Amino acid sequence: MDILQINHLQKSFGTHNVIRDLSLSIPEHAVFGFLGQNGAGKTTTMKMVLGLIQADAGDISVCGEPVRFGETKTNRLIGYLPDVPEFYGFMKPVEYLHLCGEIAGMSAKEIVTKSEDLLSLVGLAGIRKRIAGFSRGMKQRLGIAQALLGEPKLLICDEPTSALDPVGRKEILDILRQVRGKTTVLFSTHILSDVERICDQVAVLHDGSLALCGTLEALRQQHRQDSLLIEFASQVDLDRCRFASALSVYFENAIITDTTAILRTGELFKAESDVIVYLAENHILPVRLEIQEPTLESLFMEAIQ
Amino acid sequence: MSAFRAFFQKELREAARTHKLTVMGLLFLLFGIMNPLTAKILPEILSSVMPAGMSITLPAPSATDSWAQFFKNIPQMGLIVLVILFGGIMSNELNRGTLTQLLTKGLSRKTVVLAKYTASALIWTAAYALCFVVTYAYTVYFWPTDIVHSLLVSSIGLWIFGLLLLSTLPLGGVLFQNSYGCLLLTGGLVVILYLLNILPALQPYNPVMLSSDNMALLTGQRAATDFATPMIVTIGLVIAFLSTAIVVFNRKSL
Repeated sequence: MDILQINHLQKSFGTHNVIRDLSLSIPEHAVFGFLGQNGAGKTTTMKMVLGLIQADAGDISVCGEPVRFGETKTNRLIGYLPDVPEFYGFMKPVEYLHLCGEIAGMSAKEIVTKSEDLLSLVGLAGIRKRIAGFSRGMKQRLGIAQALLGEPKLLICDEPTSALDPVGRKEILDILRQVRGKTTVLFSTHILSDVERICDQVAVLHDGSLALCGTLEALRQQHRQDSLLIEFASQVDLDRCRFASALSVYFENAIITDTTAILRTGELFKAESDVIVYLAENHILPVRLEIQEPTLESLFMEAIQ
Repeated sequence: MSAFRAFFQKELREAARTHKLTVMGLLFLLFGIMNPLTAKILPEILSSVMPAGMSITLPAPSATDSWAQFFKNIPQMGLIVLVILFGGIMSNELNRGTLTQLLTKGLSRKTVVLAKYTASALIWTAAYALCFVVTYAYTVYFWPTDIVHSLLVSSIGLWIFGLLLLSTLPLGGVLFQNSYGCLLLTGGLVVILYLLNILPALQPYNPVMLSSDNMALLTGQRAATDFATPMIVTIGLVIAFLSTAIVVFNRKSL
């Protein structure tokens, strides 16, 4: 079953059309990377899923239940981590989770056991100081703990790693990796390496609708261009190959920069073996020889063109 | 209901840990002590600063003077401090975004407004009661035989006026989203009420009476029943402000 289903969503602020026509569905247990430039409408979309912002048109459902603006019942199925979560500085982490649990209607015993589990999951167990003295990374981790408190079916994280240093980012990604399987994660970001690390599906939001959507593997397959990269040790080696009659057909459309050539061809297998045979016969040793995979960055750049 | 209790407790804990409770307690205790004391020693102070050879005749201080201090200090200073201390209870949270996580956990916006109002009203009530009891005790001690009229009605009137000012704070918060806007709304309300008081036809209904005519009640120039209508109007306004705050908040995008 789809955990989140968005159909033909539209939203504008004044004359600015943020979301034009967005349709999207997220299957259970996916880790869904939601990409887009700053201001593309990622946060707006998430807030509409949470009922914090009213949509102009279209509908959203979470686990089959419709989302309504304002006090929506679907929020009991969702855990939300805002981009920069704000807490009451005068509280201690345990007190904050207790408040969250009481608001969510959990029993006192449940709150105590869940809080302990979650605080140790996010590495804040035994921290007795008030939240006012927390670093950004600690706040982000406490944010994940509060989002997971009600055992949500869907965890929505709005750019959870954007404001953190590399260590903090790794910690957050590790926590998210640990909770996959227990919950579905919708995770917005513009850090592409984070997506490659933990997401199995991605969508790119551009100009108010999805420019790209699917599993990372499928997208890579779809956008694969048959190209072969050869990096030579020197310009001389490159020129020897370039003007060799056996390889001239491949070098016709090649992109050449310094000592690197990227060959584009319809028959990758044949091209590669021809190149290897020629290199071996002429005792040319390349520094690097690889079949080029489309990177997420190239996919992203292509999508937002 | 458990959500209301939890959020209400959070409000009280916030007031305690951000020292609002201490400030309110100490200030109103100080007022409580100063009211009768000022009344008692003011004539002595005045005569001691008079140049030699000049004399001033003042009537002997009485319980009425002590209560005059009470009904001057609380409206002029106590209420202002109250409004400044609690002016940001709504707007700060909306500005910083601290409510977002709690609202997405199923906390209703109505509960936020009501719990905040209840907590601030409780603190006001406690501080006011403290001030009243201390003033009362000293006044009875200094002037055991003096009689004042309708003291209870008069002080309940001022208490209700304080509740009215507090009820504008959540509304100001959701309307303007900063504490200056909040104070502007509260200040604006007081100014409008005073302007309306120029019209004699409106005076019997005007909540302003509850904070300005207290001494008239004590000295018998006004009857206790005169306070009934403004009290009802004030309670009506409190309900109206809180309901409006809830309606506006419910429609607000966060």
